[in-house]
Amino acid sequence: MAQAGKGKLNYRCPSCFLRDLDIDMFYDKEKKEYYCIRCQYTGTEKDILEKNELIRFRYRDMYKRFSSFEV
Amino acid sequence: MDKFIVNIIHRPEMVPEYAEKVTGHGKIEDIGRKALLTESLDIFKFQQETAHKNGLKTTIQMTYASLFNEEAVAIAKEHHEEYGDEIALSLLGLPCKEFREKYKTKDFCIWMFSMEDKKSIVDDVFGKFKDIFGFYPESTGSYYMDADLVNYIKETYPSVKCAVATCWEEGPKAYHTCNNSWYTLLDGGPWNPWIPSKQNIHAPAANEEEDSGIVAIPHLSRDLIACYDGNGSNFGTHPQNVLRGMIYDTKTWEFPYLFNLIDQYRSLEKYNNGYSYNMMFVGPGWLNKMGRWECPYELLKKSYEEGCAYYGKLKKEGKLIDMTMAEFADHFREKKTYTEPECALWRDILYGSTKQLFWYCDPYMRACINMYQGGALVDLRPYAAKLEWPVGIGTPHVQDASYPFLIQEKYRAGYFTHYAGEGTLRSAKLIYNGEEVDLALCRTSAAFSEEAIEGGMKKRILTLKPVDIEFEDLKVTLQTKVIFTEDTGEITYERKVLSMSDPTKKVTLNEYMVACYGTTEYPEDMTALTLSVEGPEGKRDIAYEYKCREDYMESADSVSCILPPIETKVSMGCAKKSATGYIKEGYAFSPMFTLGYETEIGDKEEVATWLRLEKAN
Repeated sequence: MAQAGKGKLNYRCPSCFLRDLDIDMFYDKEKKEYYCIRCQYTGTEKDILEKNELIRFRYRDMYKRFSSFEV
Repeated sequence: MDKFIVNIIHRPEMVPEYAEKVTGHGKIEDIGRKALLTESLDIFKFQQETAHKNGLKTTIQMTYASLFNEEAVAIAKEHHEEYGDEIALSLLGLPCKEFREKYKTKDFCIWMFSMEDKKSIVDDVFGKFKDIFGFYPESTGSYYMDADLVNYIKETYPSVKCAVATCWEEGPKAYHTCNNSWYTLLDGGPWNPWIPSKQNIHAPAANEEEDSGIVAIPHLSRDLIACYDGNGSNFGTHPQNVLRGMIYDTKTWEFPYLFNLIDQYRSLEKYNNGYSYNMMFVGPGWLNKMGRWECPYELLKKSYEEGCAYYGKLKKEGKLIDMTMAEFADHFREKKTYTEPECALWRDILYGSTKQLFWYCDPYMRACINMYQGGALVDLRPYAAKLEWPVGIGTPHVQDASYPFLIQEKYRAGYFTHYAGEGTLRSAKLIYNGEEVDLALCRTSAAFSEEAIEGGMKKRILTLKPVDIEFEDLKVTLQTKVIFTEDTGEITYERKVLSMSDPTKKVTLNEYMVACYGTTEYPEDMTALTLSVEGPEGKRDIAYEYKCREDYMESADSVSCILPPIETKVSMGCAKKSATGYIKEGYAFSPMFTLGYETEIGDKEEVATWLRLEKAN
C-alpha cells in the first residue's frame, strides 16, 4: 500500500472537530477514503460533507441576522 | 468617544504561516520557493485592493521578509501616498532565507526568543525598515508582545505608539485545537484596546508611571462568549476564521454571523462612553489559492470581500471611522483615562441561547460575570499585582505568556465538578431547613447602568433580573446587583430579598469564593498560600498544607488569601457586621481555597459583600 497524501482540500476530521480539534485528514487512494490519524473516523468525501452539515447542529442562530443585542 | 473605529491591517508575509505546510505537502521544505513568494504578494495585493475599493485605509505591517522584496516596498510607498495607509512594521513574518541564515533558528514568535535575541532582531528589522523608508515605524505588533520587549522597543524607538499585543483568549484552548502543536499561550488579556503597563502587557497601566508608552490593540475582535468557551480561531472578525468554524451556509455561502459579530461590537458603545472598536487582520496564509480547510479559494475570497464591503458600507453611512493604528493610538489616548474600564455586556449570537456574560477590565482586574449562573464571577485575573512575568527562552516561562487567574470556570471547573471537590467560582448559596440552593443554578439576565461618584469617576452596575429560590415550604425572590467601583479594585455583590412566601422566616446566605491560581488546566503548588481571618478575636492564619482545615470568626472584618507565586492578595468583607467570616483550606483532590461569609437574611433585607484585589509583596 502506497503512502497517503492530502486530498484536494484539507478536510478535517468531523469527529475531532466536534471536540474542538482541527486535524487534517489524509487520503487513501486505494480505498478512496479519507482517514483520521488521531481517531478512528474514516469516510468518503460525501460522508465528510454530510457530517460537516451535522456539526452545525449547535449553531442554531447561524442563519439569523440580529438587529438588537438586548436579551 | 462617540464612534465605531476599525483598524484594518495587512501584512505582506512572503512565507505565510500554513502556506508552506499546506500547499507544500509532500515536498521538502523550501521557504524560498518562487511560487510561494509570488502567491504571497498576490494575496497582499488582493487584500489592499479590496480595502481600497471599499474606501478603507489600511495599516501595512511590513514583515522582515518583505523588506527584502522591492515590489512589496514599492506597493507600501505607493499606497501610503495614494490612500493614506500607514507603513508599519510587524514582528510576525520573520521566516525567510535571510532570517534563517542569520539567526540559525526556525523560531518565529518574537516573544519566545531570548531577551538578547529579541533586542538583536528588533534592532535588525527596525534598522532595515529605516534604511528603506527613511523613518522608524509608529506601529508594530505580533500575536503577543511581552512587556520587556515593548519596553525595549519604546526606549530605543520612541516613535512607536501602537502595537498588536495579544490574541484574546488564545491559550490552552487554541493549543488543544491545533493538536497540541500551536504554542500561543496568551490567555487573560483585554479584548479591546488598552494602555499596557510596563510590568505586564496584559494589565492596563493605572497611571503615567506605569504607562508603557504605547496603545495596545488585540489581534482581532473576538466573540466574547463563543471564544471563551471554544476555539478562538473560529469566532472573530476574521472572515476566514468564521469559515474555519464552519459557520456558513454551504449552499449559499452566506455567513451572517460575521456581521452579527461586528454589529455586537458596535453595540458596546453603550457601555464605553460612546466608543466601540473593531480590528481585522487577516494574514495571507488564509487566502491560499489552494483553498483552506474545506473551503475553495473562491469562498475564502468572497468572505474577505464581503467583510471589507460591510465595513465600507458602515463608513459610507457615517457609522464607522477607519483609522490607521497610529491614528487610533492618538485618538485613544485623547479620549480614555487610565482608570476608565472597558465593559462589555455580551450575548450569545450563535448557539441560539440567551446567555449573557459581562466582561470588565481595568488596571486592577479582568473579570467575567455569567448571567447564566446567577451572576457568578467565573473568571478573574488580578491585574492589581502587575505581575512581572518575563517570557521567552532563558526565562521560567518560555511559551506561557498568560496572565494567571484566581478563578477560571473552564480550566478549574466552576459550579459543576465530578461529584468530589470544588471548582473555582464566586457565587452564593441560600440555606433553609437543611436545603441548599446555589445561585449559580438560577439562570437570569442583566441590565447595565452607571452612577457618577467623586472625582469624575463612576460605578458600573449590573442589575440582574430577580430569581426565585424554591425550598420545600418557602419561596424566596432575590435580586443581585454586581457593582464595579472605578479605581478601587473592588467588586461588590448586593443581594436583596424582594419577597418571601412566609415573611417571618429567615434563610442563611453563604457568600463564597472558591479560587486557586494558574494559567492552565493543571493544578499548581498551593503550599506558599496563607489564608487569614481577621476580626474581634484578632488574626488567625492557615498556612496551606492540603489538610482540609477551616476556621470561622463571628463579626470578622475580613477574610483573605495571600498568593506569593502571583504576588496577589484577595480579600472579602461584609457590610453586615455580625456576619461570620470563614476560610477553608483545600485538599489534594480539591486544590482550592475558599473565602466566605455566612449570615441570616430575611424579607426586604439586603446584604452586601465586597471582594478586593491588591498587590502582595
